[in-house]
Amino acid sequence: MENDFERNPSPEEAAASLRGLAADRQALADGVHVPKTLLAALGGVAAWWVAGAAVANPGENYAPPSSGWLALVAALVTFHLIRRETGISFRKMGLRAGLVTVAIIALCLILFSISLGLVSFGARWAVVLTSLSAFGIVSWLAGVAFRSALDQLRQ
Amino acid sequence: MTKARFDDLIHAPVRLRICGVLRQVDQMDFAVLRDTLDVSDATLSKHLKTLAEAGYVSLSKAASASRSDARRLTWIALTPAGRDAFGAHLQALQEIAGIPE
Repeated sequence: MENDFERNPSPEEAAASLRGLAADRQALADGVHVPKTLLAALGGVAAWWVAGAAVANPGENYAPPSSGWLALVAALVTFHLIRRETGISFRKMGLRAGLVTVAIIALCLILFSISLGLVSFGARWAVVLTSLSAFGIVSWLAGVAFRSALDQLRQ
Repeated sequence: MTKARFDDLIHAPVRLRICGVLRQVDQMDFAVLRDTLDVSDATLSKHLKTLAEAGYVSLSKAASASRSDARRLTWIALTPAGRDAFGAHLQALQEIAGIPE
């Protein structure tokens, strides 16, 4: 039976308690398994959104494809599933993970713009390449962001 | 800046570890916390009950798609009061240990 403490600990006991807390933080970060399938799903969502450029008509009559909103919903559902699978809702992602997230958004916008450019030049087939690039790079960057968030847990 | 305050209720070893892990996250599943601390369900439940009664942690249930029975995921979080109390307790430990902030 664990009793509440009636006295302050000694300096050595206090230092040992603080070391124990650091060890628990390490164990927490080490114990979380990286949800690779769901991170790849984020890459899939990015690829799907970039591929939407293939059915767009760049020019005066350009209308943004509605797949953008569906991709946003799919990404939010994937974030929810990552939280469920890992059993952790992060409090802070850290600067590095934040920068990687911004890079993911910027990359998707750039690849979408390139895809629209390719379509306008009649190379609609080449959107396959930008779409595959989106899948690969976003999957990888999502993994980098997740591992950075885990590193934040250790601090 | 948090003012140092030693908290007897938090300082019990398992409760100190619970607060230390929860401080790093927004919310955490019961099973992940149990596995991180390497304690039994009963031990963790007992200490969570004590912390919840003190208003230091909150527990919420969520449906689990991976379970076919009525069991649910339990999400645990430090309350703002718990976060403040643990921060003050950490300060007290650092002062006692002679560790500068």
